[in-house]
Amino acid sequence: MTVQGVWADASPNAESQVVLLQDEAKTSTLPIWVGTAEGTAIRLALEGIIPPRPLSHDLIRNLTEHLSLTVSKVVVTDVKNNTYYASIYLCSKQSELTVDSRPSDAIALALRTKSPIYATRDVLDRQVPETVEPWIKRLNAKELGGAA
Amino acid sequence: MTQMQVRGLMFDPYTNAYIVVLRDDGNTEMLPIWVGKPEASAISFAMEGIATPRPMTHDLMKTVLDTADAKVISVVVTDLKENTYYAKIHLLYGDSEYSIDSRPSDAIALALRAKAPVFVTDDVIRKHSNEEMDRWLENLKPEDFGKYDA
Repeated sequence: MTVQGVWADASPNAESQVVLLQDEAKTSTLPIWVGTAEGTAIRLALEGIIPPRPLSHDLIRNLTEHLSLTVSKVVVTDVKNNTYYASIYLCSKQSELTVDSRPSDAIALALRTKSPIYATRDVLDRQVPETVEPWIKRLNAKELGGAA
Repeated sequence: MTQMQVRGLMFDPYTNAYIVVLRDDGNTEMLPIWVGKPEASAISFAMEGIATPRPMTHDLMKTVLDTADAKVISVVVTDLKENTYYAKIHLLYGDSEYSIDSRPSDAIALALRAKAPVFVTDDVIRKHSNEEMDRWLENLKPEDFGKYDA
């Protein structure tokens, strides 16, 4: 999936932003609610903006580089009680290790390491259509030149 | 180099940011470092021993290091340039030591989780004292200069 954008969520929590993931075929859309800090980190990576000093996710990327670890992929693996879960797959010379993570951190890191982002079929199937539809509409409006 | 502890964390209404106060054991040196809200939360949670239901960004940072079997040896606030502090995270990975550039806020948030010591170089302490002196001088009014004339 690719990150289609980060939007401010007008309701109900002022602290929240929404990251929209979509697959290439545009058959599946996954909105993920994230906090302001993570939303900003994701937006900066999307816009290719490099801050003067490394932010937290830049530091995590730098750490993986120094330790010769590659982020082979990140996967949104599960959803429980409205909370999404993700795994970051790290490759060292000897093995592949997975690290439990919030999807926001996983996506913010994946964008910096240029790693692919996946969501399991299970997660996509378990979405509630009413939650997703407004975001699909927003994405489509954006593509047609409307305001996001 | 002086080892310091996080002795305080407060909100600064003038800048809408947070201040982490570092002090040495002898209470002779004090270093205030301005940080943003997410880093302040990360530091606060670590200081209070609060475990969040899902791993936050700095928990993830620590877990990545643990998973790779890398150890945080220490964190050092190394420089102060134009009101910006610079820090380095010292790691032991395999047989080698690595030194990674970082903001002090991230470095401190990580050090607390890794139970690693935080150091500040004498250069930074000196520079910080100089800046405070400059600020104090700026606040002096012209009449103050003639105060002690006979």
